Amino acid sequence: MIKKKMKIINKLGLHARASSKLTQLACSFNSKIFLIKDENKVNAKSIMEVLMLAAGKNTIIFVEAEGVDEKEAISSIEKLLLNYFGEGE
Amino acid sequence: MSSFNIHGVPVSNGIAIGKAHLISNALLEVIHYQLDKNEVPNEIKRLSLAMNEVRKDLLKIKKQLQKNSSDEFSAFIDTHLMILTDKNFSEKPKKIISKDSCNAEWALKKQMDFFVSKFEQIEDEYIKERKNDVIQVVERILKVLLGHPSQSNHINKGSSAILVARDISPADALQFKKHQYAAFLTDMGGSTSHTAILARSLNIPSIVALQNARDLIKNNEQIIVDGNQGIVIINPSEDILKEYQVRQNIWGIEQKKLSKIKNIQSKTLNNEKIELLANIEVPGDIQSVKDNKASGIGLFRTEFLFMNRKNLPNEEEQFEIYKSVARSMKDKTVVIRTLDSGADKLTSADTTISANPALGLRAIRLCLSEPQLFNIQLRAILRASKFGKIKILIPMLSSLSELRQTKLLIERAKKSLANQKILYNNNIKIGGMIEVPAVAINAELFAQELDFLSIGTNDLIQYTLAIDRTDDRVSHLYNPLHPAILKLIDITIKAGKKYNKQVSICGEMAGDSKLTKLLLGMGLRHFSMHPSRILSVKKQVLNSNTKKLVLWSNKILKTKESETIETIIHKINQ
Repeated sequence: MIKKKMKIINKLGLHARASSKLTQLACSFNSKIFLIKDENKVNAKSIMEVLMLAAGKNTIIFVEAEGVDEKEAISSIEKLLLNYFGEGE
Repeated sequence: MSSFNIHGVPVSNGIAIGKAHLISNALLEVIHYQLDKNEVPNEIKRLSLAMNEVRKDLLKIKKQLQKNSSDEFSAFIDTHLMILTDKNFSEKPKKIISKDSCNAEWALKKQMDFFVSKFEQIEDEYIKERKNDVIQVVERILKVLLGHPSQSNHINKGSSAILVARDISPADALQFKKHQYAAFLTDMGGSTSHTAILARSLNIPSIVALQNARDLIKNNEQIIVDGNQGIVIINPSEDILKEYQVRQNIWGIEQKKLSKIKNIQSKTLNNEKIELLANIEVPGDIQSVKDNKASGIGLFRTEFLFMNRKNLPNEEEQFEIYKSVARSMKDKTVVIRTLDSGADKLTSADTTISANPALGLRAIRLCLSEPQLFNIQLRAILRASKFGKIKILIPMLSSLSELRQTKLLIERAKKSLANQKILYNNNIKIGGMIEVPAVAINAELFAQELDFLSIGTNDLIQYTLAIDRTDDRVSHLYNPLHPAILKLIDITIKAGKKYNKQVSICGEMAGDSKLTKLLLGMGLRHFSMHPSRILSVKKQVLNSNTKKLVLWSNKILKTKESETIETIIHKINQ
């Protein structure tokens, strides 16, 4: 299992579009993937759970992955976040 | 079927007779019904099929989009597709069906309500709004389940359906605009609720704050909505029904006749111009101000800005709203009243519940005790004053020292703007509400230090007669024609005349056309009222001769009993 600290840096945070991108990406891996914010731990493959995590800009989250492709999963998710979800801001 | 009445707060006038149309928050008529255990598997299958159909629909829409539309939109559809396939969303309702043996619609809605309530706890406004995506997906499925065509055309024509709902959300409101409802009834809400604003803009009767109408009224029951008095009659007897059909006709004819005097100038028979202004609660009311040809806004209540929210509105937000109202009224007067509510409406302040909230820390008292909050509002009003004919109105003054303190704070706000080189109208007029008897008695003192006076009759009556209007056991004692009330109004009007300051009434008395002639006789020349009252008051103005009315009103002011006063007024109005 890998757990990595990340920061949401895009302007709108994990809103609908960013959430669906993240969920889509998570679904493409075999590993179990979770997002953790404060005491809340949600399944990254469920858009409802990701949305309700309500992670706005500058939120610190932990991404946890467990499975055969856990390394790849963590690094792709980090890339998506650092890339502002492809939104440019 | 037994007949019964329910009372609520009337927020839009008129009379409607029709069949109840019960609506859930999700806008469609989700009804609960119990299934036999052996029907459960089929019901789950029905839900799965409906979800599948919606999925196919969405994919189809997406395909069409990709050819000629932006990425943005297909991402939106993607989100809906993902919500639909999310197990949290799709599997839970199935579990509810098997656990409760209820219908699929009900289970779906139950799960949606759960999500919506979760979303509503989210602080981030943007993410909070995503609950609408969930609602929209649920609506799509419900439409399939209920066998509706994709254009949710669930109203039988004839436009006599009366909407009965817990509450109407802004999203619902958009949908309802297209449907021809004859009236809106809601359990929740007040005069600034979406229901109220929508009903006024559609010009249909509406009653809100009915508490449990949604539970008491059944689908398709016949109901009468009396939006003038705030009464709903369910399953009326033949006699009552006939009576109301007559009243509805008369109301309709009256409205038609009134609309003919819209463009006529508000002048008495002896050629005196009478100013008829409008009271508004939210910027959305401006349409009806214009429709009724009000000569300006005599009272813009600002409480709506502070209600139903977690944080207080900042200067920028307030400024934009005041500016937009001032601009859309152009060269016409806009009187903005500073915050007139109690501490209970504000999140930042202590919420100690006092035994007599009407006599507690509220209105100007609250503002003076929270100078920071007041300063933000004053600065916003002052900045907006550059964009129209804005005046400031101070509510609930009870002493000269309060007035002087307030004026000092206004001066300070002006100075801080000047230091920042921000423009404002330095000659902005400042008026005071005359609603505390102590101030009415000493109206002359206040007239000397204010630019205009505005009598708030609702509170003046409540404070003078010591009547809590919301207490059913004493509300019958609330009486605008009590000789003491007329005396206080008289003192105030005379004080204004003596010091050449404009006096208006902005309470309900101003909009009661039965009292127009009395008030004209007493010397009142400026009336501010709910926009829907303007034409009926104007009709009275057009038929009045102020010189003759003075004689009547002098007689009334000398009368000792309100019963006798009523008789005289009845005669004047004949």
